[in-house]
Amino acid sequence: MRNDLKCKDCFDLLMDYLEDNLDSETQKKLDQHFAACPPCLNFLESYRDCSKMAQQLRDQQVEIPKELENRLKTFLREQM
Amino acid sequence: MKTKELGQQQIIQGLKDADTEVIDEFIQQFSRPLFGVILNYTKNPPDAEEILQDTLLRVIRKIDTFRQESDIWPWMKRIAINNSIMWLRKRRSSRGREIQLEEYAPTFSEDGHLHGSLFRWSVDPEDVILNAELASQLYEAIQSLPFEYRVPLVLRDTEGYPIKQIASLLGLKEATAKTRIHRGRLAVRKKLADYLEGRG
Ligand SMILES: [Zn+2]
Repeated sequence: MRNDLKCKDCFDLLMDYLEDNLDSETQKKLDQHFAACPPCLNFLESYRDCSKMAQQLRDQQVEIPKELENRLKTFLREQM
Repeated sequence: MKTKELGQQQIIQGLKDADTEVIDEFIQQFSRPLFGVILNYTKNPPDAEEILQDTLLRVIRKIDTFRQESDIWPWMKRIAINNSIMWLRKRRSSRGREIQLEEYAPTFSEDGHLHGSLFRWSVDPEDVILNAELASQLYEAIQSLPFEYRVPLVLRDTEGYPIKQIASLLGLKEATAKTRIHRGRLAVRKKLADYLEGRG
């Protein structure tokens, strides 16, 4: 199988590649390109890592000012 | 998120009866986690606080529609997310700046080759849990995105919503939602890369 994908082509397909939206032949071509091209692999990893890191913000632990909590209690009591 | 202190049934019944003690307990248990959800959509405290207040009120008003057999947290969280989106769409006075691809995409030579001068990325995504500064850089990078890019990115990458659902929630075509998520990611990647390189 001839692999005629350039770095730019891989970049354009990056999101579909990560979402598994490509046909298996194209997916394979990108796999091969990434395996043989360190700058593209580096870019792919950084892009994927950022997306993964954003997942860690899910259900993040935050503080809530006591005074805000009190305001909320007063507000909701008034609404009842 | 589990309702441990007061059981879920007691909270639901108490909210239906407008029992003030239960309402206080409900705020105690849920205002913090709901605030955490909302702060992913806006870091502006007055906005976030108003959205939180409105979310709590909506939860109480809609409590009759909640299906008892399921866990109440995902239901409440969905109200907080929908409310954040609605609020921010209404609130923002003008369209945010568009992100141009060239600003954050890597550069390619004329024959389509990626320039090899990128710095070596070496981050373990798990680091963000352990490294508070990295976590705050990431948070700031996401929050600095215009609304149009920030919201789809948070829905996809933070909450894990499918693109189809994001598109319908935001009234966008799927292709547009995808483009915005992609550009938002590129911008976040560039900002974090600049930070990590500078720290080098
Ligand atoms: Zn390449």
